[in-house]
Amino acid sequence: MTSPQAYEKLQNVFDNFFFGDVKVAPDLEAKDVEEWDSLLHMSLILAVEDEFKIRFGVGEVESFQNVGDLVDLILAKAK
Amino acid sequence: MIIEKDPSFTRALAEATREAEQFSQVIALHNARKRAEKSDLTFAGGRKARIAVVGSVTLRPLADLVDHFIAVNCEAQIDLWTGEYDAYVSEIMDPGSELYRFKPDVILIVPSERKCRYTGSLLDPISEQRQCADKLVGELLGLCENAHLQSGAEVILCNFPLPPYYDPGPLRSSSLACDYGFRKYVNMQLGLACPTFVHICDAEFIGNRLGTLRVVDDRAWFESKQPFSAEMAVQVAREVAEIVSSLKRPSRKVIVFDLDDTIWGGVIGDDGLDGIEVGTTSPRGEAFRDFQEYLLSLSKRGILLAVCSKNDHERAVEPFESHPEMVLRMSNIVNFKANWEPKSDNVRQIAAELNLGLDSFVFVDDNPAEIEIVRQFLPQVACICVGADPSTFVAQLKDSRLFETRSVTTEDLGRVSHYKQEADRQSQLDMSTDMESYLASLEMVGRIAEFQSVDVPRITQLINKSNQFNLTTRRRTESEVLEIIDSPVQIGFTIRLSDRFGDHGLIAVVVCNFQGAELVIDTWLMSCRVLKRGVEQETLNEIVRRAKVLQCDRVLGTYIPSKKNGMVKDLYCNLGFVPIEGTPGSYALASPEYVSIGSQIAIQRDNP
Repeated sequence: MTSPQAYEKLQNVFDNFFFGDVKVAPDLEAKDVEEWDSLLHMSLILAVEDEFKIRFGVGEVESFQNVGDLVDLILAKAK
Repeated sequence: MIIEKDPSFTRALAEATREAEQFSQVIALHNARKRAEKSDLTFAGGRKARIAVVGSVTLRPLADLVDHFIAVNCEAQIDLWTGEYDAYVSEIMDPGSELYRFKPDVILIVPSERKCRYTGSLLDPISEQRQCADKLVGELLGLCENAHLQSGAEVILCNFPLPPYYDPGPLRSSSLACDYGFRKYVNMQLGLACPTFVHICDAEFIGNRLGTLRVVDDRAWFESKQPFSAEMAVQVAREVAEIVSSLKRPSRKVIVFDLDDTIWGGVIGDDGLDGIEVGTTSPRGEAFRDFQEYLLSLSKRGILLAVCSKNDHERAVEPFESHPEMVLRMSNIVNFKANWEPKSDNVRQIAAELNLGLDSFVFVDDNPAEIEIVRQFLPQVACICVGADPSTFVAQLKDSRLFETRSVTTEDLGRVSHYKQEADRQSQLDMSTDMESYLASLEMVGRIAEFQSVDVPRITQLINKSNQFNLTTRRRTESEVLEIIDSPVQIGFTIRLSDRFGDHGLIAVVVCNFQGAELVIDTWLMSCRVLKRGVEQETLNEIVRRAKVLQCDRVLGTYIPSKKNGMVKDLYCNLGFVPIEGTPGSYALASPEYVSIGSQIAIQRDNP
């Protein structure tokens, strides 16, 4: 999977997941999105795992600061 | 995927929700619904439900899934309130808590499986382990009762999924000091002791069905105290919604079923009584018979059985009246419609005659076209299209969730007495000291009949399958068996046996050759299920009775040894035959002097 493909797929997950329009971008962070609180975070991770057919390890879920980190992790897992 | 302005939005949403298995799919549908609600696109019913979710785990996203499934199942708008992580005890115990200010209709309690464990040692005596488990059961049910008394809400308690891991080995199911045994015990006790206002969401069962390895997500527990894997959360939420919608839904009371290729194989109008497949003769016949057994068991728990078939009435009732392998009889059917009118008209007619609402009806047919006409004209009727493979019919009905009972009522008494009979039969065996009084207590009835065409498949099957109680092991094809019926020199008869516990069906076959002064036993076989009940004696009585009618002086019998029929090598001697010198395995009995041997079987003859 290429980086643009991952961003495109992640955009699809975000579209289904958030009420408002959230555009994925490498420097997008949770605090930029009002709905994206700590409760929603786990759901989002589970949804990402579902869609990309990958699984994060314990601790990895907190390890990324922004969407760019998340996509890097997805690309590393989805190899 | 779903366009919100589409007028068929709710229908499409319900359809997609029914199909969705994946967590991300359900969450996407949940959000689509929420967006639609914001733009005032609400469910047609406009009903409201107030759902509270509390527990010792993180309650989201589980609560969102529950919210979505209830909204779709009940076509209701949901007000959802979720408690704080692990605050459920205080939320329930404090009468002034936010939980009660919310005024919920339904309270879902999700305790953590991590608190359902034995803290002592594996070496502790079992009584101590049980005490610890009972204490937890008492606490949980106490909380449920409190929640109900404070709010009047229906309480749904989620029980505990079983762990998937091997640890600690064989002790898993012989001790309560490990998670597996402890949770299993606690779940059972919760179910046995729970009052009517508590409904168990059976996570143990749901988890087993899904596969326990797929239930756990230890990572998600450490990460955010999620109770289950995402996949399991979907299944649990679905079950909670099923419980909530079943509380208000009228139960299904009538099952209307088709006949041809639904409860027997073939078409009675074309194939006739001898041609339809039902009974132990063939695998397919056995599957149809099993399906009938299941329908009968539904009737015993109070579901009414009705027939709706495109047939001539006279032909359609024939198997019910005279096919020996049918389980269902006319007395089991409350309404019988066999005609050429559309089935939707017939089902409506049955509902009118029984004075029951169509929403309490289930319609079962193998033909998609018939299902479609009923669906179109009577949308309230639940339809099951069983398809072409009868081995799947029972499972389809069992998994339809249409015949579930949440409590045992007087209607179930029939079923209870059935189990009681089985238990009686067992205890009978334990108690009887002497065989004769046991046999007498069975109240056996033996029915002797000439070979008849309808029995030919079963006779042929016994002839070709019986190995043990089979004196000559002579095999025959169906057409050879058919020839015996009209033969002037061959005599074939069968014996059926029933007792007060049930019908054993056709269990013995005899073929004799009439040779002037001698009647020669060509074939004598019996099912071992009924060994030593007196059928052997009654069979010989019948053979000799016929020899006397035919004025034969002697009855001749042969024992041809095989690898498997050693059990009958002394049968003829034991019954009073004398070995014929010079021909080993041949025996003779002088018929005029023979006196019938008594047994505890009451004999009836179909055609004397």
